[in-house]
Amino acid sequence: MAIAKAEKPLPKKKKITAKTLKSQRALLIAAAIFVIYGIVFYYVPLVGWLMAFQDYSPRLGFLGSEFIGIDKFKFLFSDKTFLRVIRNTLAMGVLNLVTSTFMAILFAILLNEVRNTRAKKVVQTVSYLPHFLSWIIVTGILHDVLASGGIVNELLLKFGWVDKPVNFFAKPEWFWGLVAFSNVWKETGWNAIIYLAAITSIDPSLYEAAAIDGAGRWQRIKNVTLPGIRPTIMILLLLSIGNVLNAGFEVQYLLGNGLVQSVSQTIDIYVLRWGISQNDYSLGTAAGLFKSFVSIVLIVIVNQLARHYGEERLY
Amino acid sequence: MKRKLTVMALVFAMLLAPVLSACNNGGGGKESGSKSNSAGKDGKQEITEFTAFLAVPGSEVNDDNEVKQIIAEKTGYKIKETWLTGQTETEAIGTMIAGDEYPDIIDGGVATKNLYEAGALVPLDDYIEKYPNIKNFLNEEQWDSLRQDDGKIYWIQQFGNIKGEDKTTTQTMGAFWIQARVLEWADYPEIVTLDQYFQLLEDYNKANPTMEDGTKNIPYTILCEGTKFFCLTGAPLELAGYPNEGSVYVDEETLKAVDYNTTDMTKRYYKKLNDGYKSGLVDPESFTQTYDEYIAKLSSGRVLGMHDQGWNFSNSVNAALTQAGLDKQGCDYIPIGLVFDEDIHNRWFTRQYTINTASGIGITKDCKDPDGVMKFMNDLLDQEIHDLRFWGVKGVDYDVNEKGEYFRTKEQRFESTNTSYRATHLCPYSWMPQYEGTSDDGINANKPSDQPGEFYDGLNDDIKRAFDAYGAKTYIDLLGVNEPAGPWYPLWTYSNAITTSTPGGIAFTKMDEVFHEYMPKVCIADDFEAMWDEFLKTYEECNPQDFLDEIQAILDKRIEDHKQYEN
Repeated sequence: MAIAKAEKPLPKKKKITAKTLKSQRALLIAAAIFVIYGIVFYYVPLVGWLMAFQDYSPRLGFLGSEFIGIDKFKFLFSDKTFLRVIRNTLAMGVLNLVTSTFMAILFAILLNEVRNTRAKKVVQTVSYLPHFLSWIIVTGILHDVLASGGIVNELLLKFGWVDKPVNFFAKPEWFWGLVAFSNVWKETGWNAIIYLAAITSIDPSLYEAAAIDGAGRWQRIKNVTLPGIRPTIMILLLLSIGNVLNAGFEVQYLLGNGLVQSVSQTIDIYVLRWGISQNDYSLGTAAGLFKSFVSIVLIVIVNQLARHYGEERLY
Repeated sequence: MKRKLTVMALVFAMLLAPVLSACNNGGGGKESGSKSNSAGKDGKQEITEFTAFLAVPGSEVNDDNEVKQIIAEKTGYKIKETWLTGQTETEAIGTMIAGDEYPDIIDGGVATKNLYEAGALVPLDDYIEKYPNIKNFLNEEQWDSLRQDDGKIYWIQQFGNIKGEDKTTTQTMGAFWIQARVLEWADYPEIVTLDQYFQLLEDYNKANPTMEDGTKNIPYTILCEGTKFFCLTGAPLELAGYPNEGSVYVDEETLKAVDYNTTDMTKRYYKKLNDGYKSGLVDPESFTQTYDEYIAKLSSGRVLGMHDQGWNFSNSVNAALTQAGLDKQGCDYIPIGLVFDEDIHNRWFTRQYTINTASGIGITKDCKDPDGVMKFMNDLLDQEIHDLRFWGVKGVDYDVNEKGEYFRTKEQRFESTNTSYRATHLCPYSWMPQYEGTSDDGINANKPSDQPGEFYDGLNDDIKRAFDAYGAKTYIDLLGVNEPAGPWYPLWTYSNAITTSTPGGIAFTKMDEVFHEYMPKVCIADDFEAMWDEFLKTYEECNPQDFLDEIQAILDKRIEDHKQYEN
């Protein structure tokens, strides 16, 4: 679609009169409530960021604590562990993003091709149920399934592929994969819902036209379905880019152990260990602040890229 | 229009409801020491309930627990105890401080000092003077050792207090443990060294690879999770003949704190584990299992041996083994005082005259009635209530013979290991101040497990046979009793309170991270020597000297402080 360059003069702004205000009273009140909600719950807490520049002590409180400039940041970036933790977070975040997006799209398309409505519904319902399990349960299942006496090792032994049980949790090189796998297992069905919805909104006549032109199933997927959900994919990708650094806390915390800690610890776990556990709330805040900062930068960059390539974007 | 507005108002009300009610809950949670007329039917007495958080894993008792109710009726108070689940104590306490909301009573474990630094605890000095049982609970030196830098006392160490004659029978401290069936199979051999121990486990497992029901035995397992890491790292110190001082040992001649983690003796221990791992003796899941999985494993009777602190597993595991009838197969654990070489004297059981000053029971600033809490604690130390807590109800949980001695029948003993009975009936308030040793009556022990006759009769047959074979009457007899080398012992009670606010604390936290990663790596490494060298290198980068300096200062101060109480 070629949109004419938006040089045209904007339509004249309507004057806000007392009358319109009055007639839209209900809407205004509705909006105001959410604005207040946003300010109270999203913006006021940001004042706490100041803690990152203080030597915060809970006893002296927010007002009484001494300001120490950027000492905490200096400590963070001279700490090898923190640098490693950033790497882990980014790696797992990207891996999760890629695998979960890919699997969700794949699953949605496959499901869409199922002709039997009943089977489709059942599969869809079953597949998104794991989303409602908490991570503690999912990791519990993983621990059981992958234990040395668990089903996976039993099978491996039975088929003679290994001669002694594999300890899946002791291998640092497998940890990221394990996390990505559990994410996919838990969230694929749920993430696919939105793509399925996008697919159903594609005009059926497009499929018909393609079929008449002799396009097979594969070609219809490639030329109709995928382009049809492309804007949805872009928007969802953009939204999740901001979440890359929220690569997770529970799953790494619960699956991790000493052997794999060099690859398992994320920024959130670092905050827990060095900030909350050690009573150094300033350090924790500094790490959190850094995380937010990187997230914002990532979103802005990706949004600019999207704008540049003429894709859907956030703003 | 009107109707629309009403509809909208309703929608907003619904949207806001969760938010508002959340606020309410927050406020409600703060209500403490709430009076409730729970004496109910007769309505005579008002019972105040306090909330308590104890930063250790524990089992909750039911709200309508019978002994709890009896104690409440006698004293007018009860406590709702909450325990640590799934977190470490520092994480749980850190989160609590960040939220600035506390229960009435708290034991923060190693993070107790953090609570003080956050200003969450109230000073107890005035109350201690007011209540005689509490005042007499500790001696002057012990009270003074609990004083913080402002000279006040903020928590009471509740354990290790022996009243009258010491009747300790169980090893609550560390040991290498071995199942009774292994000893019986080998006809109760004399085991002194680590090598002999592993040899025995190997021989037994070769001869009996499975349990009676066909479950495979696990010769040796190690718990490495989080703060329970001492099951792996604590052993070399004691194998070398030092008492457990925590992260260092004290050279008794020069009075210097020495880091043992990089010494040859430690290396020797890990080499042994590495060999064991390669030969399949050491459970491959050792380094990845959680505490719950570990306890479940021990409770299944599959594990032949491990190194652990008695307090860390014995309560839950012994009860589970008995309830499952696994004592018939000889699955109960016997402690052994292992050393590296036969000429080293074992000090696994060393008497402790100093208390653990790093943690204890404190009262928080959110508590509305600190005086009530202290009054209740005073009552809990009363002999009558103390008996209720640890023995139970006379005639129900124990009987008294003509000499005034308490005893339990077989059924009573069995009931006392039953989880659901413990939840509905028994209420030891196990983390509140308590006595070991002898009761005020001069006859009975303060706890059934310390009652000589009762203790021995209560043992499962597999343990009795082992005791008889070794000529022991108690677990302690198996290990031998040692006196502490100096007033600092055990040093971990001081070193545990170090936080990252000092360079030593930062070094300690970093060292801890290195241990968590490298000790397991060393154990499973194909090339042991190379991995050990890598460990040493990484360890050096943490500046362990900063930590040692701080420990040395603590040690010096401790020795100096003690001088004024001598003679």
